[in-house]
Formats: sequence, C-alpha cells, structure tokens
Amino acid sequence: MSLFRNFATGLWSLFRKNQVDRELDEELRAYQEMAAEEKMKQGMSPKDALRAVRLERGSLEITKVVVRSGGWEFFVETLWRDLGYALRRLRMAPAFTSAAVLTLALGIGATTSIFALVHAVLLRSLPVANPAELYRLGKEPRCCYQGGYSQEKEFSLVSYDLYKHLRDNTKGFSELAAFPSLELLFGVRRSSSSEAAQSYPGEFVSGNYFSMFGITAYAGRALANRDDQPNAPPVAIMSYRLWQERYGLDPSVIGGVFEVDGKPFSVVGITPPGFFGDSLRSSPPDFFLPLNTEPYVESDADLNKVDTHWLELIGRIQPGANAASIEAEMRVELKQWLRSHWSDMSANDRARFPEQTLYLTPGGAGITGMREQYEHWLQILMMASGFVLLIVCANVANLMLVRGMERRRQTALSVALGAQTSRILRQPLTESVLLSLFGGAAGVAIAFACTHLILYFAFPTFAGFARVPISASPSKPVLLFAFTISLVTGIAFGIGPAWMATRVDPNEALHGSSRSTAREGSLPRKTLVVLQAAFSLVLLSAAGLLTAALQRLENQDSGFVQDRRIVASMDPRLAGYRSDQLPTLYRRIHDSIASIPGVSSVALCQYSPVGYGWGAGVWVDGHPAPGPKDDNSAAWDRVSAGYLDVIGTPIVRGRGISEEDTASSRKVAVINEAFARKFFQNEDPIGKHFGTQADNSRQYEVVGMAKDARYLTLDKPDGAFFFLPEAQADYSQTNLGSLFLHDIVIRTRQGARLSGAQVRQALASVDPSLPIISIRTLREKVATQLTQQQLIARLTSLFGVLSLVLASIGLYGVTAYNVGRRKGEIGVRMALGASRGGVVRLVLRGAFLLIAFGLILGIPLSLATAGILSSQLHGLNPYDPRRIAVAALILAISALIATLAPALRASSILPSQALRDE
Amino acid sequence: MHGYGISVRIEQMSKGVFRLNAGSLFLAIQRLERDGLIDGEWKPTENNRRARYYTLTAKGRKRLDNETREWGRQVTAIGRILEAS
Repeated sequence: MSLFRNFATGLWSLFRKNQVDRELDEELRAYQEMAAEEKMKQGMSPKDALRAVRLERGSLEITKVVVRSGGWEFFVETLWRDLGYALRRLRMAPAFTSAAVLTLALGIGATTSIFALVHAVLLRSLPVANPAELYRLGKEPRCCYQGGYSQEKEFSLVSYDLYKHLRDNTKGFSELAAFPSLELLFGVRRSSSSEAAQSYPGEFVSGNYFSMFGITAYAGRALANRDDQPNAPPVAIMSYRLWQERYGLDPSVIGGVFEVDGKPFSVVGITPPGFFGDSLRSSPPDFFLPLNTEPYVESDADLNKVDTHWLELIGRIQPGANAASIEAEMRVELKQWLRSHWSDMSANDRARFPEQTLYLTPGGAGITGMREQYEHWLQILMMASGFVLLIVCANVANLMLVRGMERRRQTALSVALGAQTSRILRQPLTESVLLSLFGGAAGVAIAFACTHLILYFAFPTFAGFARVPISASPSKPVLLFAFTISLVTGIAFGIGPAWMATRVDPNEALHGSSRSTAREGSLPRKTLVVLQAAFSLVLLSAAGLLTAALQRLENQDSGFVQDRRIVASMDPRLAGYRSDQLPTLYRRIHDSIASIPGVSSVALCQYSPVGYGWGAGVWVDGHPAPGPKDDNSAAWDRVSAGYLDVIGTPIVRGRGISEEDTASSRKVAVINEAFARKFFQNEDPIGKHFGTQADNSRQYEVVGMAKDARYLTLDKPDGAFFFLPEAQADYSQTNLGSLFLHDIVIRTRQGARLSGAQVRQALASVDPSLPIISIRTLREKVATQLTQQQLIARLTSLFGVLSLVLASIGLYGVTAYNVGRRKGEIGVRMALGASRGGVVRLVLRGAFLLIAFGLILGIPLSLATAGILSSQLHGLNPYDPRRIAVAALILAISALIATLAPALRASSILPSQALRDE
Repeated sequence: MHGYGISVRIEQMSKGVFRLNAGSLFLAIQRLERDGLIDGEWKPTENNRRARYYTLTAKGRKRLDNETREWGRQVTAIGRILEAS
C-alpha cells in the first residue's frame, strides 16, 4: 500500500512538477517567514532576522534540493535531463556521432545476424502447441534405415510394428506419432490438368501426427486416425506454401485429386502457413500422406517389414506425466517386443539383446538433424562476430576517451563547483548507452540484410521447392538480443571513459594549459589499440586457416575427374516405372545420350559423387563370419558398364565394370583399395569371392580394384566401397529400391559444348514424362557440398577484414591524436636539429610498439582459437606458424598505412609555427 | 501542526537540545507523508498566511505507539547495561 502510494506521489510530482515545486516553495517560505517573525518579535530588523534564520535553519534553496532529491522521481528527472543533454552534445558532434554509430551498427549487426541464425537453428521450438510437452525417441540423430533386432547404443528408429506396440502400450503419452527418418520426394501432378509430374518433398505420417502437434488445418481438415488404415481411401494434406505459390489459394484444390507417384490421392486439407513439419530442413515437406498409404505409393514398401526400422517417433506426454517413467516403461516394452521376435533374431542380435535400450529426449524442437549439422559452425561464427564486437567496443571507447579529454576542463569545473561523483559518472555513461542504442537500431537493419544473405548462401534452394523455414526478419527474441547487447556494449565501452572523467583533479585540469607530454592519459587508449590488434590477429589467422582448409578441400585429389563431366539426375520411379522395365529404359537412355554430338561416353549409376551410397554387410569367402562386435560394413553403388572410366576413377588392378558383365555371365564386383585393406589384408583380392548375406559368401567375384576416392564425402577418403554391374542386377526382385538408378554421368569431348537443353531433349525422346531433377556439371554438384565451408570461410574473412579496418582506424586515431598533442614537443625537437626521417621514425616506433604488444597477446590467443577450429580443418595443421606470420604481416602492413599519414604530418610540422602556438 | 510549529515544538520540548535544520525536517515530513503516516492539508494561519498543517493518520498513530514502546524497551535495556557496568 505505502509502496504504491510512494510510487503514485512520485508520478504525481513528476508530471505536476511545477505545481509541486510551487507548493514546496510556498510551504518553505511560510516556514522561513514564521521563523523570521519570531526573531523580529525579539527586536531584530527584518533583514537581520532573515539572515539569522538562514544561518540557523539552512538556506531555502539547499532545503529545496534536499527535499526534492529524497524521492525516486528525482532519479528519473535527472536521467531525463542527462538524456536531453547527451542528445544535444551528440548533435553538436556529428562526425563523432556518425562514426561511433556506424562502427557500433557494424558490430551489433554482425553479432545479431549470427544470433538470428543461432536462434532459428539451435534454440527455437517448432511452431506447434505447447512444444514443451513433446518428447522424441533417441538421443543422437540417425538416418535412415536400421535392419534386424539390435541397434548400436540405442534404439532410435523403429519399424511400424514396433511403433504400434509402443503406441498401444505406453500410457504416459496422449499421442505418439511416427514418420520416416528419410526425406522423400514425390512426383506429383494434378489429375485434371495436363501438366507433367513435378517433384516435391513429402512425408508419410501416422494418422495422429497433426493432433499430436496440436495443429488444425488452415483449410479443409487435417489427417485423422481413420485415414491411416490399410484400406482407407487415399487422402493427402498439402502445405500452405505450395497451395499459395503453385495454385494461387485455389479452393478447388481441396477435394481435388492429385497423382502422387502415379497413384490418385484426394487432397483434404491445407496445413497452417507457419507449419513446416517435424524438423527444420532446407526443403520442408509439401505433402503429408498417411503411413498406411506407403505400400500403395512405394514399390519397395517398408511398412509391413517387421525388422526394418525407419520411423522416428515424437509424442505428446499427458499433462503432469513424467518423461523418465515413460522412458522406463518403453524400455520394458522394447524388451518385450524383441523377446516376442526371438525366433527371428540372428545370433548376433541375440548376443546384443541385453544392452538394447532406448532414450526419450525433449522433442519441442522436433528432429534436430540440422541442429547437429550446423551447431559447430554457428558457434565459430558467433565467436568471430563476438571478437568483432569487442574490437568495435575498443574503437568506440577510444573515441569516447578523446571526448573525455576534450571535456576535462568542463568536468573539472563541475567537480570544483561540487557536482556529485555519481552525476559526473552518469553523464558520459548516458551518452555512450545512447550511442550504442542508436548503433543497435541501425545494427538491426544491417542484421536483417546480413541474415538474408547468409540464408541465401547457407541453404541451397531448388526451383519450385519451399525455402528453409527461417525468416530473416528479426523476431522478438532477436530484437531483445540486439537491445541487450547494445546496452551491454554501451556500458562496456562507456564505463572506462566515464570513470576516467571522475578522476579529474580540478586543480590540475584548470591550471594546466594545453601543454602536455605524450605519456600522460594515453595509457588506456594504447591498451585498447593493443587489444584491437590482438583480436584482429585472432580473426585474421582464423580466416586464413578456414580459407586454406576450404581450398584444400576444393583442390584435393578426389579420386574422380570433375572437368568435362555433366550429371543429369532423374527418378524413373516418379514416372511409375516397374523394375522389369528398367533395363530397357537404361539402355535407351544410354544410347540416346551417347548419340548427342560432343558426348564421348556416358554411364548410369545410383549415386554419382559426392553424397550418397548404400550400405551393406560383407561376408568374405573363406574367412570366419564376423562376430557381434565386428564391423563388416561397406558402401556400394550400382553402375552401368564403363562407369569408372566415365567418372575418371583409375583402376589399379584387374578391370572395371564392362560390357562383358551381363545377366548371364558370372556375378562380379569391383572393389576399392580400402575394401581390399579391410577385408583381404595381405591377400591378392582379384578372383576372391564375397557376399552381402551371411549365408552366401560366394555371391560376387572380385575382378578389379579401383583407386580410393571420395564418393561419399569430401572430408575424407571413402572406407570400404564396391561397385556392382547394373546388368547383373536381379530385376525379378520387384521394385527393390536399389534397382532405380538416379544419375546419368556424361563425359564430353575436349572442347565440345553440351547444353542442358540437349540432354533434356535426349531424355524426352526416350520418355517425355521422365522427371528430371537437375542437370549440372559435376564440378557444380561437388561445390554444393562445400557451401557450408565456403560460407564460414567467407564470413570469417569478412569479419577479419572488418576487424582489421577497425583496428587500423583505432591505431590511426591514437597516433593522430598523440601527434596533435605533441606538436610542441616535436617542434622543439626539430628546432634542435631532429631530421624529418627521425620524426617519422619516432611516430612509427610508437605505433609499432603497440602492434608488437598486440602480437604478443594475439599469438597465444590465435593458437588457442586454432585448436578450437581444428575439427573444421580437414587435416590441416592448425598450428602452422606460416599462417600466423602471414596474418601478422597483414596486420603490420595495415598498421603502417594507418600511421603513415599522421607520421608524415608530424614531420611536416614547422618548428617556428609549433613554437609560436605554445 | 505546520512545519515551523513542529520544529519550534521539538525545540521547546527538548529544551533546546534538538534544533532541526529545515532540510532534515521537510525531508522527514515528505517521507512520513509518502508512507501514509501523516496527512497534510493547506490551511490559513492565525496571521492570514497559508501553511500546510500535518496530522497523524490512524496508521501513523499505531506506528508511533509501536515505535515508542520499542524505544522505551531499548532505553530501559541500555540503562540496565550501563548501571551494571
């Protein structure tokens, strides 16, 4: 009550300041007059009486100040006055103000834009109801298929059968939904139109998917459990994005029939605009289909395979339920389920049975594969932008110190007249916080543009696909971050100069003329320049390291040739091909493209480098079968004749896949060197046999060995890898996924030019409805693998250059200021016979001493940073002294440029002039 | 009672030991009023001047009783300690 009353009266006196002042005045005057009357009654003259009262009771003005400063509103009032004063002062120094605001805007903008990404990728929850109630299965991300009845470390993917078992028996979940871990593409066309099928990302989801997320349809209805039944009529949900961009919000889409991979579905609803599914992806799904339609759409269906684990789980727990006890419950259920399949389990599965377990983790952010992928580099960028901000702080602090120096006499006067220390401290602090808030406002604009650009470079887009669901426009948390960081920055660079101001000795300041030596008062400024040099060395060497690592990745021997290679990606499955039609299709595609003038050779494969590969277990003929802990995995690719030659991977022993490998000849395989090392050790692999099933180790005969290459990732050479001939594939295995080849690799003749249109035309002559996903050079395809590294290297370099410029400006400022102050001294030196060169040397020596200190501080810091970066360097030596030497050299050169102008100005001082100014 | 009255009264009661400075007096008055312990009201004085008259509120009266009792206890206690030494 009394607190409220205090507040209310405070407010009253703030807004009715005049009235309150008048009343206080009147009351005090009455008081004084009454006291004086008393004195006059004792016989004093009115004048003497007033004087006596003032002596006895204190002067009226001081009393007023004392009473007024008693309330909290006094603080607000003076703050207001300080603000007005600071604004006026900033307006009077437009050059200083704009320089400081611009510098701050760059620093705050850089940090904020990186934070916007950090927030979107690492911190944000899915845009669904109560994300805190969501839990997902699994600690670590895992893609995409796991076979059998055991999983390493944890059971994080489940089969449909296991999903139903968990869903029906776990009481703690109000809903438990399932969806595949793999990102799928569907070939979709509207049934009523004549348009060709287009590919869109899509997802199979359990019927309770939308109710689990608490998402209702924007138009039409969401999926329901009744849609997710084996014989339910096939329905689909479309994304708002696609509805808007492709169909212009046409209401007839809802209820319309669309062919998904050639199968009719009726679209029954549209997702709400912000919804992007269960995980943050670069291309969010545009179609959601019930899980039970998977066998209807996919030729190689996984739904009813009991031991194929391909589903992710996210569930909403009951209000008040405990996730730990649900987890314990599910572990028991997992063991029950495994035990019920004991007879189907392999010996290895049974041996691993005791350690099989599962984990529930908070699922509010969905499946966070992207988080793991981007976490490290976002941390690096956050650190780099933090260093930029530190340099910015140092720079502005330097400017503030100069202003403080210029204001010394004024401050001294205030102190001499009795100003409180807190007021003296507050004034420059108000000014710096105000500056940084202006800088922050401008920084938000810069951040917006910056985030836009980073998003563009960081997440590759495909025409017609949705963009990554990260908005560049600042959200509330980002704005809050920018505001906080501006405030902190303002205090950080303002507190030092403000404190220095309070230490002014009025006597000295008022006495001394402008005469001063170089040393006095410049130590803090020099320290700041040393810090700037050190930080910018850190950034420069980090930028150098990351750029070198990128170049190493770009220029290394990948084991295949990127020049004169074109890759066309297609998907015959989307055009409704059956597996028995494939051999003819491949032959016709090969011949059609080979007949284009300028094409020297062509081959088809499942996946061309760099990216994917299928995995398999390997059993070698004549070797003991691998135990439960043994790693017998290898990656493989199905390729048509001549593929290794077309892609340019050299054969070291034996031969490649060729025309002589036909459906009727012996089954062969070509392995890579790593495969030979892993499975054949010291033996000669040629002529040996191996298989991919435990009971058939004589499945393939090794006929050749290819050089190690980087088909899967550019970071490191592939492990064990083998190639199987397309012609020997078992096309009777109806619609096995691995039978569908995706990439056509075309080698062109020297000097020949091949356009995408020619390739398109050749493919259309085979089948006009064949969906072509992309046509690009192999070099372009490989480059998309490097976008992340490129972005980090470019941004760090940008930050490095920014820091270098800021540090140089700082050094220039300090040197120029010192030269100005030492004008007299230099004049005397020259009058006494110092040469111009000597003066230049004098100034440069001062500046380079600072840089030297910066290097001493910066080199250990750079080495520490390099250690943090080492995981991003792909084998590059992080402590390479040459790189730090180069960074130091760059720093020294820009320091020289920054100090040369003031040094030359110093050397052109005329002694007569300088001495006259004294 | 108005401000001047209060200071004169305190001076008289304390036989001149406490002579209040105007600053201390009015700061105290402002605080007491904001805490709701006293109420102020503008009234004409006997010399036809306007002055602010202060009265204790009910809350103020209670607080005064409490404080007086507490003060009494402390004085007695300190007195005993001093006697004993």
